[in-house]
Amino acid sequence: MTGARANIAQGDLQDQKITGYQSPLGVTRTQTATLRGVQMQSGFTFDQVEVAYQTLGTLSARRDNAILVCHALSGTAHVAGLHPETGRPGWWDYHVGPGKAVDTDKFFVICSNVLGGCDGTTGPMSVRPETGQPYGMDFPAVTVSDMVTVQAKLVEHLGLSQLFAVIGGSMGGMQALAWAVNLPDLVRVCIPIATCASHNAMQIAFNEIGRRAIITDPNWNSGNYTPECRPKHGLAVARMVGHVTYLSEYAMTRKFGRTLQPRIAPADAEEALFTVENYLHHQGESFVNRFDPNSYLYLTKALDQFDLFGGQPPQEVLRRVSARFLVISFASDWLYPPAQSRELVRLLKRARVAATYINLETLYGHDSFLIQNPEFANVVRHYLENEYRNGNFPEAGAAI
Amino acid sequence: MHPGIYESVLDWIPNGARVLDLGTGDGAFLERLVKARRVMAEGVERKPELVARCIQRGLVAHQGNIAEGLDQYGDQTFDYVLLLGTFQELISPMEIVREAFRVGRRVIVAYSNFAHYRVRLQILFGGHTPVTKSLPELWYRTTNLHFLSILDFREFCRQMGVSAIRQACFSSRGEVGFLPNLFAEEVVTLLETDKRQGPEAGASGGREPGGTAGLNP
Repeated sequence: MTGARANIAQGDLQDQKITGYQSPLGVTRTQTATLRGVQMQSGFTFDQVEVAYQTLGTLSARRDNAILVCHALSGTAHVAGLHPETGRPGWWDYHVGPGKAVDTDKFFVICSNVLGGCDGTTGPMSVRPETGQPYGMDFPAVTVSDMVTVQAKLVEHLGLSQLFAVIGGSMGGMQALAWAVNLPDLVRVCIPIATCASHNAMQIAFNEIGRRAIITDPNWNSGNYTPECRPKHGLAVARMVGHVTYLSEYAMTRKFGRTLQPRIAPADAEEALFTVENYLHHQGESFVNRFDPNSYLYLTKALDQFDLFGGQPPQEVLRRVSARFLVISFASDWLYPPAQSRELVRLLKRARVAATYINLETLYGHDSFLIQNPEFANVVRHYLENEYRNGNFPEAGAAI
Repeated sequence: MHPGIYESVLDWIPNGARVLDLGTGDGAFLERLVKARRVMAEGVERKPELVARCIQRGLVAHQGNIAEGLDQYGDQTFDYVLLLGTFQELISPMEIVREAFRVGRRVIVAYSNFAHYRVRLQILFGGHTPVTKSLPELWYRTTNLHFLSILDFREFCRQMGVSAIRQACFSSRGEVGFLPNLFAEEVVTLLETDKRQGPEAGASGGREPGGTAGLNP
């Protein structure tokens, strides 16, 4: 349990103050690809889409070891290694690298910023060619399938005809699922983590609180804000609410308990009295500096509208799936509860898709996949290794 | 468990069969079965740390209890469903066996024989709850909920509308042929549905469309 406490204390790599972090990958760079003629589910067609992406590791001679890592709501293309300017580690540096869960010594890892995002891929912040102004709320509606369409174009652009695996947590897990269903011939292994086939009312409700906070911020101005006058407060509140839903009661108690902030007068209602309040303020502020409020609106809408089966009978949708699945949930995740993953596995199995399911008893809530978590890392590493080996030597395949 | 039980199962399952192992533990036996018989196999196990070991072995595994695990599968997905270390720990063995026959064609069950002569002697002359090689735990530590003899199991099968088409009985000295209900400590049996009156009588749900579709490679 001391290990678990240390993992909780360290937290994830996204918005924490991090000093002296070492990544075995050293400095890693993000590149940009320009893709032409990308059609959205809504019918809207982009003449061109810019995609920020990172690749790590080496493509095998047989070009059969590519793994696409899909990031979650607040993630970026910078998946692992140190950022050349800020020196910050990538959001999944704990689990992507030499000898790690996604082993860059064995696999060629691709991670791209999603469509509608704000870290280098075309999104609401991008300049609209016709007007010379940012899209803002004129950006076309984005779906998880649209994100996958753009990723598939990128994969093609990189000269790959197939991915060995697609892996992702939360929103990344939805993308992994959409890959397996929309592009069944392109994926051999699908690893959706802490995710679901569609949001329930509670998940939509939390997202709506975040969206309300943004659009009721006076600076939002129907999405037409300037870089100097952004709806920072709304976005910070959205992030604070979101962040609480990513943690578990256990993790928050361990991390903060009722610890007080030093040197403040308890009567001062505006000041953060407890450490947890201060922590959330920091999370909000740090996020505001790196995330676009309109992007937040678009991506949370995409999450809420995601429905893997799109109203069709699941058995029919899943019948065309050819990937093998490893579905992972976390017992302490109350935002994406294990029951959702279990139901997904049930539908997969009833459609005779080979699916392994593990509900890990790690205590860190929804963020369990983002923080140091050896139980999680071992499961992913072994699964990828075995599937890659068995795929190359099918006679060694041990399972259905 | 007596090693003869595993040998019998290996012996009974043909090459290439589809096998579901309920309560698969760390997957050691299932891996052996896969290697020896080239079966297509899946395991169900409750403890995540043991499921992680199954994943390490390259097995398809499902984390959950047995009832939950069975509910994941469509009708007649498997040729064989194994209940090797868990039968006496099931809260409702009838429901589980019925479900096992829904997802599989044949079911293999292993259990400890409570009518073994040492058990009888311990109760008769010792006057205490027996502790034997096949029932090694004291009454307050055992995970077994049910205690049964070979005769009891036969009656259970009759009520379920299934019959044993193979049976192997073991004691610490090896396989037992003579008066097994008296001399066998452990039993493994291969069950098949009676043609006239099957366990489907109480099973829920019809066949799924596409139930004959092949398993993924």
